Parts: sequence; structure tokens; C-alpha cells
Amino acid sequence: MAKLEPYSPTPASRAGRIVMTIMPFAIGLVCVLFSFVPVGRIFGSPLTPAFPLMAVYYWAIVRPEMFPPLAVFTVGLLFDLLSGGEIGLWAFVYVVTYAVVVTQRMLVVNAPFSAFWIGFAFAAGFAGALAWVVVSIIHGVFVPPVSVMKHMAVTVAVFPIFAMLFGRIEARVLQGG
Amino acid sequence: MEPNRTALPFREFSHRISLIFMLTLAAALLLLGRAETYVFDRARQVVTDMAAPLLEIASRPVAATRRVIERTDEYAYVFDENERLRAENARLLAWKEEALKLQAKVARYEALLNVQVDPAINYASGRVVSDSGGPFVDTVLVNVGNEQGAKSGQAVIDTDGLVGRIVSTGPQASRVLLLTDLNSRIPVVIEPAHYKAVLAGDNTDWPKLEYLAAQSAVSAGDRVVTSGDGGLIPAGLPVGLVIQTSAGDLRVQTFSDRGRLDFVRVLQYEFPSKVKRQDPPEVLEGPPAGSEAEETGDATAPGDAQAAAVE
Repeated sequence: MAKLEPYSPTPASRAGRIVMTIMPFAIGLVCVLFSFVPVGRIFGSPLTPAFPLMAVYYWAIVRPEMFPPLAVFTVGLLFDLLSGGEIGLWAFVYVVTYAVVVTQRMLVVNAPFSAFWIGFAFAAGFAGALAWVVVSIIHGVFVPPVSVMKHMAVTVAVFPIFAMLFGRIEARVLQGG
Repeated sequence: MEPNRTALPFREFSHRISLIFMLTLAAALLLLGRAETYVFDRARQVVTDMAAPLLEIASRPVAATRRVIERTDEYAYVFDENERLRAENARLLAWKEEALKLQAKVARYEALLNVQVDPAINYASGRVVSDSGGPFVDTVLVNVGNEQGAKSGQAVIDTDGLVGRIVSTGPQASRVLLLTDLNSRIPVVIEPAHYKAVLAGDNTDWPKLEYLAAQSAVSAGDRVVTSGDGGLIPAGLPVGLVIQTSAGDLRVQTFSDRGRLDFVRVLQYEFPSKVKRQDPPEVLEGPPAGSEAEETGDATAPGDAQAAAVE
């Protein structure tokens, strides 16, 4: 009788696992950097979508175990440090939005894409409203909400492209792993 | 099967604890960020300096694409544009004659009145490498750092007019607070009547005019330039035009378009503030009776002594 070798993961599968573990977080970080690339200037507009919010929502729904609260917090904090705004604002907004999305993920996890998109529209609306309330309290004035509304509208409009992109990356890495 | 059954609730539990912990940490940071600014400013500068080269590389294709689009637009309207420029050139030539005459006149008056002309302003040119990032902040990063002489407070202009001022600098990059940001306050003058006001950003596309005298007759279309008050920004930089909103408020349409920011200049302006202090003498004495020469000597002596003491 042939002696069976004890099973142990090959180096390739181990590497794949590591990549899979850090991939959502890495995508989150890339999204933060990408928000500061002046893409809107191609069209002569200062509007840039909230790319990190897309990553937070996508991974909170699809694989929350691979995008833990620490990753959400780090992504938000990095955004705050780079943006020159209030420290902790987007870290707070993203963590709260993540918490809300994770509790409601069963509603959209196996639903068609339109439901996933509508869910994102709600999440973006919630995040924008929360950020607007926090900023208004901090500054002690009624901050005009038009810019945040535009920002979130653009984010919701371009979300399908990025959701598809995240899906492709996830499928590729899963296959590779 | 046994380990899996216990692992799942444990994972759920740890996830929940971690979520609560991160929420608390983020809320604490939001409060602490207001109080402990030095630590966060340092952290911000380090992160910005690390990200600036990456953002610069990423912004190059964006700038190139924009230029291609602009060039295509220009080709489409090249004949109309040529016609317009010819007409404008003819108009400007007449203005040039006028300007040269006025320049000579002003130079003569300045010489007559012994006016102290502002020193020439040095500048460092750079590119905007990052966008504002977020709907509540209107700042951009430029690739001019303190190694190129950038300092906090310096004015930043582009070909159209004032863009904003530098609020923090690192070795390689600086952050520019745009005129539309909630925290931006720039002392300005509204021409031609020379009314002073403060241009205050409020997170909209058109900053407000604050502290404008109640009786000032400012109307839409008036030109707004920097006043130079406070000594931070040189006087006379073009800022924008006064516009009237449908609600009747006076706001300013800035000349620089924040959607099209590309190359900018950081003005290294030093306000000539090293003025010799001249305190009056503590005891005012009348001129002693004597010759006129002695009188002048006595009158100037205490002043000189004071100035020497101050220095």
C-alpha cells in the first residue's frame, strides 16, 4: 500500500492565500490614492468620486472577513491625512457606514446587481449625510450640502464600473489562489 | 467539525469587538484632531511627502489627456479663434500705447514723490499633482516644497489670477488652500472704488465678501484684487469679478478655475516689515534756548538714543 504524504499547502497556494488576504485592503489603499489623482480635470471638473467608499461597500458585502474594521479605519485615516481636512472624519464615516452595511448585507448579498447598486446608493447617501452633519457640527456653521451631494451622485453613477473591476480582480486572484 | 463550530461565533464576536473599538478610535480621533494639531500635522506632512511622487506620476497621463482634448477643441475652432484673436490684438495694441504712457507717468510721479516701490517678487513654478479629495476640503498639492523655498502663507497664482495660499510644506510638496475652501480668508480690495473686504470661502464655487462696509456701492462686474493687508500676500493680484446671486448676495467668481489647475507659481513674497521702531522720548523737553544748530542736535538726540536702544 502506498504511503500517503501528510497534506501541506504548496508555496504557490500559500502565496495565493496571502495575496487574497491583503488584496481587498490593497485595493482600498489604491482607491485612496486614486481619489487624489485629478481625473476630473480631464473634463474640466473638480469633482472626484469617493473611490474608497466603493471599496468599503464592495468588500463589506462580498467578503467582510477579508476587509476587517481595522482595514476600513486605516483606509479612512489615510484619506484624512492626504486630504488636509478634519483628521478622523472619513475614518469615522467609513467605519460607521461599514458597520451599517455589514448588518444589512443579507439583503443584497445574493441579489441581482441592480439591488447591489441601489444598496450602494443608500450607503453613499448615508455616508454623505453623516459626513455633512459631522463637518457642520465641527465648524459650527451650516455647510452648503451641494458639494457633498454632487460628490456622492458622481460616486453612485460610476460605481458599476468599479464594482465590475473589483469583481474581475477578485475572480482572477481567487482562480490564481 | 468541533473547531469550526466554535471558530465561527468567535470570529463573529472578534469582528464585532474590533468594529466597536475602531468606531471609538475614529470618534476619539475626530475630537483629538481638533486639539492636538501638531502631531497630526506632522503625520499629514510625512504621508503627503510619501504620496506626492506617486501622485505626480499618476497625474501626468491625466494632464496629457487633458492637453490632447484641449488641442482637439482648439483645432475645431481654430478659424473662429484666429478671427477673435486678431480683433483682440488690435484692441490690446491701443491699450498698450495707453499703458506705456501711464507707466511713464507713474514712474515720473514715483520719482517726484520718492515712493518706496515694492521689491520684485521671486517665485517658484510647479505643477498641481493632486486633487482636493473630499467634498469638504478645497486644497491641492503642488510639487514645490520648502527645498524650493516654499513657506506656509505664500500666495499661489496661475495665469488667470490668485489660486490660494500655502498652508503646509514638506521638502518636496506643499498643500495649497484654495479660495473656495471653508477655511480660506483673503483680504481683498474691490476696484475701482477701493472698498476693502475679506474674501471668505464657504465650500461653494463662489466665495463670499465679508466685512464690506454697509454703504459701499459695490456692483456686479467690479474687479476684485488682493489688498496686501496683513503682509502675507502681495497687493494687486487679480482675484475675480463680483457677481450677484439670485438671492441678492454679493459673491466672487474667481479668475482661476479650480477644475483646470495645472502649472502654478508660488510667490516668495517678503513683506518689507523691518521698519526701524521710533518710540517717542519718555520725557518731552522743549528746545533749549540757544543756537539753531544746537536746537536740531538736541531734538534728534533722544530719538536716536531710543532707536539704538531698540536695536
